[in-house]
Amino acid sequence: MSLLLIALLAVPALTAAVLWALPAGTGDRVAAIVGSVVSGGVLVGSAVLWWDLVRPHCPCTYRLESFLGPPPRTLPGKIYAYAETDISWIPELDVRFHLGIDTISMPLIALTALLVFLCCLYSLRITPRAGRTRSLIALLLIIETGVIGTFSALDLVLFFLFFEVVLIPMWLVIDIWGDEHDRAGRRRAATTFVLMTVLGSAVMLLGFLLVHRQAGTFDLEVLGENPVAGGHGIALVAAVLIAVGLAVKMPLWPLHIWLPDAHAKAPTVGSVLLAGVLLKLGSYGMIRILLPVLPDATATIAPYLAGFSTVAIIAGSLACLAQTDVKRLIAYSSVGHMGFIGLGIATMSPEGLAGALYANIAHGIITGLLFFLAGGIKDRHDTSDLRTIGRALYARLPRLSGLLTFACLASLGLPGLAGFWGEMLILLGAYHPGDSLPRTTFLVLMVIAGLGAVLTAAYFLRLIRQLCQGDPADNPATAFAVDVSRIELITWAPLIVLTVLLGLWPFTLLDYWTFS
Amino acid sequence: MTITWTDWQATAVPLLLALGAVAVLLIDGFWRTGTKQLKHTVITLITGGVILFGLVFVMSQRDAFKPAFCRTAVEGPAECSLVLEPLTIGLWAVLLIGGLGVVGLSAYRLLSADIPVGEYHFLLLSALVGATVLAGARDLATVVIALEVVSLPSFAMVALRRDRRGSEAALKAFLVSVLSTAVMLFGISYLYGVTGSLYLQTIATRMPGIDPDLRRVAFAAGLFVIVGFGFKIAAVPFHGWLPDTYSGAPVEVTAFLAVVSKSAGVAGLLVLVTFGVAPSGSDLRIVVAILAAVTMTVGNLAALRQVEAVRLLAWSSIGQVGFLLAPLAVGDAQAVVAYLAAYVVVTLGAFGAVAVVQRHRPGGLFLSDYRGMVRSEPGLGVALVFFLMVLAGLPPGLAGLFTKFAAFQAVIDAHYGWLALVMALNVMIGLAVYLRWVAELFRLPADDPFSVNIESPAVGVISLCAGAAVVLSILPGTLFALAG
Repeated sequence: MSLLLIALLAVPALTAAVLWALPAGTGDRVAAIVGSVVSGGVLVGSAVLWWDLVRPHCPCTYRLESFLGPPPRTLPGKIYAYAETDISWIPELDVRFHLGIDTISMPLIALTALLVFLCCLYSLRITPRAGRTRSLIALLLIIETGVIGTFSALDLVLFFLFFEVVLIPMWLVIDIWGDEHDRAGRRRAATTFVLMTVLGSAVMLLGFLLVHRQAGTFDLEVLGENPVAGGHGIALVAAVLIAVGLAVKMPLWPLHIWLPDAHAKAPTVGSVLLAGVLLKLGSYGMIRILLPVLPDATATIAPYLAGFSTVAIIAGSLACLAQTDVKRLIAYSSVGHMGFIGLGIATMSPEGLAGALYANIAHGIITGLLFFLAGGIKDRHDTSDLRTIGRALYARLPRLSGLLTFACLASLGLPGLAGFWGEMLILLGAYHPGDSLPRTTFLVLMVIAGLGAVLTAAYFLRLIRQLCQGDPADNPATAFAVDVSRIELITWAPLIVLTVLLGLWPFTLLDYWTFS
Repeated sequence: MTITWTDWQATAVPLLLALGAVAVLLIDGFWRTGTKQLKHTVITLITGGVILFGLVFVMSQRDAFKPAFCRTAVEGPAECSLVLEPLTIGLWAVLLIGGLGVVGLSAYRLLSADIPVGEYHFLLLSALVGATVLAGARDLATVVIALEVVSLPSFAMVALRRDRRGSEAALKAFLVSVLSTAVMLFGISYLYGVTGSLYLQTIATRMPGIDPDLRRVAFAAGLFVIVGFGFKIAAVPFHGWLPDTYSGAPVEVTAFLAVVSKSAGVAGLLVLVTFGVAPSGSDLRIVVAILAAVTMTVGNLAALRQVEAVRLLAWSSIGQVGFLLAPLAVGDAQAVVAYLAAYVVVTLGAFGAVAVVQRHRPGGLFLSDYRGMVRSEPGLGVALVFFLMVLAGLPPGLAGLFTKFAAFQAVIDAHYGWLALVMALNVMIGLAVYLRWVAELFRLPADDPFSVNIESPAVGVISLCAGAAVVLSILPGTLFALAG
């Protein structure tokens, strides 16, 4: 029983309920303040939990290690749960309320808490034009509960449940607060998002039920100890179903079609959470469930997974080259980056997996920042169309465009910034794939993915060139626009600092993920 | 047939309901003095009291096994016509809760004034008698009679408001029902001819040993019986009567049809499939599975195009029946009863909300009449959103999510992979259906937002349904404990 972890789940949801229960006359400002305080509290709580997880516990662990030598080589992704809660919930269905964290999930929980906190902080001053900030904050907090719950669930059904919690709130966020110029478009985007994701999670549930039929349990700890063996038959079907379900969420090509619209039409805070956090549910699920529970079957499908991921890298990058909308461009860049993460997972190697986990965090931070910046540009010009915004942003909004350039460079994987290490490790992992995987295939995929990295650089540089550079005389300011405001600086600063820190000291995180 | 012994406790609930029905009719007939309100309240209280007593009795009998109208058989254990066992208890609880909800929705000032009160409650209780007997029936004759006792009062209720739409709706339902009864009787006669018994238990034991030449006859006979029930529960392709009947009847009666009548049909089919006609491994189970797949897909797809609230609920209830048939096809009674219980509670709530809107907004049939209700009428709006989410099976409606989950589990464990895939697809389509409504509720209010003083009985029923749905969402285990 860990009260802190349960509080991290319960406090945001309860706060949302309280916010809705407040009379409608309550100011939006009050709601944003409450949201910021609570999500700030959750951030502090997750930091405490992280410290509690990694601090040296009593000397017994050292003694154990010195007696037995280093711990045996384990399946990657297998859980060593800390801060556990394990209560029987629905005995008839064999469902347990089983929560816990380890070093794989903890950084993602902290990332979630950070991004939600920044979104609430951002909403103190800058809110979508549709108003109703109170409900927006409440929905953000519910999303936080759902995401943290997914990252800490140790029971497959609980994982599925929290996975679904996020859907309706996100649907509402896009549907109500989305692009105010395109009502039909935002409705369509929201509905496509929620329907594709729900179909994906239903398919994933079928896989879970097949696992249960084979193994007789939904418990991830037990399943980690006794994985479902066999790379064909039922195990293979289960792995394919789970992989497809998670691939919708992640999203992997060709299941990504919901993503560009959803990201482009969502309000700024919605895009930030979608890209920064929600996509990670898919990749986290692959690492946490697919690899440790169905290792043999995953090895069977890994080359295909890697192939689709590589196609995603190339397709995402090529699509980016053709975009004229800055938010859509960043959305498509997410497809490419998530493709890298999928490739890293598919290599089933320690390097690839550590790279995928690192890229997860880095992508959350950098793309969160990019969407904040794109939202800022959109708010100032009332459009996110590159042609309407015009060029020469360096002259018009020097600080904002400077930050945009910084974020683009980080995203394209400039060494020294956060985006570099994950992708490098993933390519390294593809060079040394897991023992049971066809090495030649992965070498070819590695080369193609490397080309994709070059394409990534190409489209980001094109974005910078089209948006920021140019002769200021030809591109007069289209709207009254102030450069970076104080609240923007406050909310973006943590992301900028983390981008640099993770770029300079990757081993602060990578040390947690040595799997062999 | 010589009746040798009966445990009268097994028949207590149907008997009590029948007595209540007669009492209500007599009170209505001899009531001369006093206001209309007093009369209506007294009748509501008596009807509700009878059902509530039945519910308490049922709950006190949990884990009991009490057969009635039994005789010793030549082979095997005694043959009984009515059995009170955990499955019966679960089904009775669901049916009685549904009946109680309908009584609540029909309280004074809720039921439209041109409907005769006494007859209405008499018919309601009579139908409940049939429904409870049907859920406990273990021989084919009892099944047919009980089914007729459910059906006949239903048509009368549909026609109680004597206008054109009501009569047309009733006639449609009546003709279809007569046809289905004929089909079913045809099948039953063949079943009797093949196996030589009307008792489900005996049919099940003799079925594997019958002459191979008669196998096909037995299959056809079972098929006819299932088709007969298919009409009753409006499984596709026997669903044509349902949308018109639902939208033609008064809302309270529609709620009754969707909750009590439908549950009774499902209960009867469950009894037939699990106890006799289609034992596990029978080809008839595949037929039911196909029926489930077609029903949920067609129902949900048609519901996508509806613009009227009641019609949307009608078509989506066809989709829900498809989901009910899925665990039924694999004989998982526990999952069926749990699904039915969750469905009954939230459908009652949803119809309660619809009734409120239709009563206070003349012509308020359309989804667009619900615009902005979360803002303008928060209690009702939020409750309705919650009911719809339970029907869709998504958080926060965990009661719906876990009952759907149990249906999936039953189907997967029975190796019906294709059915599970169709169900997964239908989770998506079903969500699309309910989201259209939810989207209207969450929009900003229109020019004349819906905001009224809701009658306190309606508030009571809807809050009870919402409260029950919340409790069932937090403790879904109670749903699965219903049927043992």
